Amino acid sequence: MREKETTLYLGPQHPGITGNMMVKLKVTGDTIVRAETHVGYLHRGFEKLMEVRNWMQVFPIVCRICVPEPDPNEENLARAIETLEGREVPERAQYIRVMVLELARLASYLLWFGGQSGSAGLYTMPQWSVGDRDYILDLFEELTGGRVYHMYIWAGGVRRDLPEGFADRVLRVMDYLEKRLKHYDNLMLDNSIFQKRAQGVGVIDREKALDWGIVGPPLRGCGFKHDVRIDDPYLVYDKLKFEVPTETGCDVWARALVRRREFEQSISIIRQVMEKMPGGDFYNKVPNPLHWKVPAGDVYVKTESARGEFGYYVVSDGSDKPRRVHVRGPAYVHGITLLEHLLQGANLADVSFIMNSLGTCPPEMER
Amino acid sequence: MSDNIQNLQKSLSERLPQCSVKIRKHGGVELNSSKENLVGVLAHLREHFGYRHLSHISCVDWLEQNQFELVYILWNYESRIQLFVKVRLARENGSGISIRHLWPQADTYEREIAEMYGLPFDGNENPRELILEDWDAMPPMRRDFDTRAYSKEAFYDRPGREDAKDVRSVISGRSGEEIPEIAIPYTRK
Repeated sequence: MREKETTLYLGPQHPGITGNMMVKLKVTGDTIVRAETHVGYLHRGFEKLMEVRNWMQVFPIVCRICVPEPDPNEENLARAIETLEGREVPERAQYIRVMVLELARLASYLLWFGGQSGSAGLYTMPQWSVGDRDYILDLFEELTGGRVYHMYIWAGGVRRDLPEGFADRVLRVMDYLEKRLKHYDNLMLDNSIFQKRAQGVGVIDREKALDWGIVGPPLRGCGFKHDVRIDDPYLVYDKLKFEVPTETGCDVWARALVRRREFEQSISIIRQVMEKMPGGDFYNKVPNPLHWKVPAGDVYVKTESARGEFGYYVVSDGSDKPRRVHVRGPAYVHGITLLEHLLQGANLADVSFIMNSLGTCPPEMER
Repeated sequence: MSDNIQNLQKSLSERLPQCSVKIRKHGGVELNSSKENLVGVLAHLREHFGYRHLSHISCVDWLEQNQFELVYILWNYESRIQLFVKVRLARENGSGISIRHLWPQADTYEREIAEMYGLPFDGNENPRELILEDWDAMPPMRRDFDTRAYSKEAFYDRPGREDAKDVRSVISGRSGEEIPEIAIPYTRK
């Protein structure tokens, strides 16, 4: 008997979906025949809004483009403006920026630990890792005043210097997180349920990953070493020592191992930053924001976010407002082209599992 | 690195004489192509110059010159040099040309540019709608789209929010309750 195809709408409100988006699935039994990503539930028109605001007013908008990891957005925009202007950034500010970016990466990975194991039905892990993420958010709150959105990095440097004793508190949190890693391994990576669910699922071929513009942990999970921090170094990453872990499995398991090993690298980067951070200025003051004009030109800057290459194409026509700010989030490719491809032939229960492993993030797909 | 960039510029000018090639002020190399040559140029860059990674496709509306500019940003994993390919298109009744057979992810970018700028792509006809649903007004990312006028027309003001009045004074006027002392300095006169 020929099985009938059924259409399923997964999302936009569904616990397994990573945000407000929908995946329309055609299934026979519980095997997916065809998948279509539908976005548009979270479109806020940020890129249009930026065109009618002055350069300084753009900063509170950009951090809202990515909820779990807003800092690469701020850093990208700040660096784009600095490149166009030829503005120097004090070295201390560059170190502080690296610290903020790496803390954000850790926070993002902790959220991912929770999402990835939660979608496999391991519900202890999200409680623990999201709880531990709060220690990082506490640091952000002390440093910037905001827990999730920081608006801390801006053109010319950072908004304020480190509070007294902040370095000690950062290092204490790093020690704590390092100790917690073995518990995470016990709960997640050494857990046979997780291993069986993750191995051989969501496989993307290495050549295809290279051709399709896949970046970040999904690309490194295919055994290809690419990291913007190494290949196109920005800030002071070329003065820091760290490894770029790769795995060869090309599946969800390989991506999980890559992220788990990167977690340790980020902790090591933050320790080096705290040790090497010089004194001095933290801000090279910009002119009066109301009359601040940025020289005409266009620039593409990119950051290695927790999900991969996060790029900004910024065009200035020499006026006090940006001509165009176009955001390239990794999820723009991962969550549409790649997800639709990987879901073909997958099991219905693996949809959110695969989505999490790719780092699908609707706010950066629609902006 | 600067030697590599100069070598690349030289070999690009030799191999692709139909394009103008220049070294960019802020890093990387820029090629200006015509629409007819675009697919050939991109395919050549991909096959013979190792530009395998398509980072980004962007569209800029140059209203004053009545043109759209498409910007293709490529990355070479080996030489680590960024490459920009730019093409100018007519703003009215113009069309781009699809490259989704070269890079499948280009399809998403083309879908977005088609609906946000109203710029169709030859070879990607009737794209699935991406972000906007049943949109029949002017494509919203065009420079002459007035967001304020559109929202005035499409939505109504919530009672108490007309003329951007201070909500606190309206509410206190309605219910008779007083504005607390702490809020007075921040209340609009």
